Amino acid sequence: MLMLQERVKIEEVGIAGTCESSDITIHIEKNDGRGIELELRSTVENQFGKQIKKVILETLQELGVEDALVVAKDKGALDCTIRARVRTAVSRATHHDCFPWEAK
Amino acid sequence: MWYDNFSKRTLNLHLRSEKIQVEEFLTKQNLDLDREVEYTVAFFDRGKMIATGSLGGRILKCIAVDEKYQNMGLSTAVVSDLIQKAYSKGRTHLFIYTKPENKNIFADLGFYLIAEVPSKVILMENRPFGIKNYLKEIRKGEKDQLLKNQDREGVGAVIVNCNPFTLGHQYLIEYAASKCQTLHVFVLEEDKSSFPAGIRYRLVKEGVHHLDNVVVHQGRDYIISEATFPSYFIKESQTIVETHAKLDLELFTKYIAPTLGIQKRFVGDEPYCKVTAAYNTVMQEILPVDGIGIEVLPRMEYGGQPISASRVRRLIREGRLSDVKKLVPETTYRFLLSDEAEETIQQILGGP
Repeated sequence: MLMLQERVKIEEVGIAGTCESSDITIHIEKNDGRGIELELRSTVENQFGKQIKKVILETLQELGVEDALVVAKDKGALDCTIRARVRTAVSRATHHDCFPWEAK
Repeated sequence: MWYDNFSKRTLNLHLRSEKIQVEEFLTKQNLDLDREVEYTVAFFDRGKMIATGSLGGRILKCIAVDEKYQNMGLSTAVVSDLIQKAYSKGRTHLFIYTKPENKNIFADLGFYLIAEVPSKVILMENRPFGIKNYLKEIRKGEKDQLLKNQDREGVGAVIVNCNPFTLGHQYLIEYAASKCQTLHVFVLEEDKSSFPAGIRYRLVKEGVHHLDNVVVHQGRDYIISEATFPSYFIKESQTIVETHAKLDLELFTKYIAPTLGIQKRFVGDEPYCKVTAAYNTVMQEILPVDGIGIEVLPRMEYGGQPISASRVRRLIREGRLSDVKKLVPETTYRFLLSDEAEETIQQILGGP
């Protein structure tokens, strides 16, 4: 798994995903010095709420995000989808490409 | 996907035929086409409209699905499209007005209820912390203010647009401040007035600088904004105005007043604007029910006529700046003469 060395600072609002079935909307914005606050609403919260939160937090950690306010609205997305949406939202909030498309 | 055979299309409401089509469809659902709409999307089943929705500023509106096509995910598709459109324009804080029975549909789409007028309308926003953060912000503003008017009791509030700040506003605030220990002044944030929100806020701050028990807040989205009280900005019919006023006051009594311990609201009486007058009437009915007092002050007069911001704007339009001087505080007058004011004055000269 790719690990970004530097810390990433969230400056703007980043949003990724739709509210269609099997997708998740990730809304991320700055949260200066207050760590990561995560608010999840999911159609399968009772079954998978813990797992979804875990995937989101892990992905943020991999990307080096330390402070962020995250609102996730899930419609039963798979883990790979959740990861992709989080990465895209962070990319948009930081203007930082979080996807290693090419080897450097 | 199951709705593969449905087609989605953006409508151009400048075309008469498309506008009529949307209007007819909405009428069937007991809805009217809002006047402030900038983007409309619709779904069709072989040429027949089956669902539609519109975006105006940060508000999703006029959303309807044909009865025969309900429970097929069309409202989700419409809202998704509107949200994407809003995001692409950089608007991330969105609101929805809808009937109370649709609450669950939009809750599933990630909207959170903020205010309700039973059996009339509900207002939802797409941020779970939206109003909470605003309350935190105004509480912080309160703490920053150290000096208080110790020999008085009670906390009051004044809500003003100040387009621009006049001697009338100053008189209202001075009077209210003399009646309470702390006075909270909220300046409307919506950028639909001739004077930009930042400038209006600054002129109020400068104009009440001499009162040490006054805290000036920005109204943000939750006090008479395009979201909570749209009819202030688009002059509407009487019943709609009343419903909107109730919604706005619900936010005030439920969140803002308890947060700051506000016990009384001071307003200037409104001889001209019908919408504001209707709002004031509704306010006098509702606030006492929630234990909040209200005091209506007659307008300050100059030359036998009430001082109002619209009168000031009219004088500016007529180029009579020396007359304006008699209606506004020194601070506002100085601003009007500065280079910074040029753009605003140009706009007043050109606008209505």
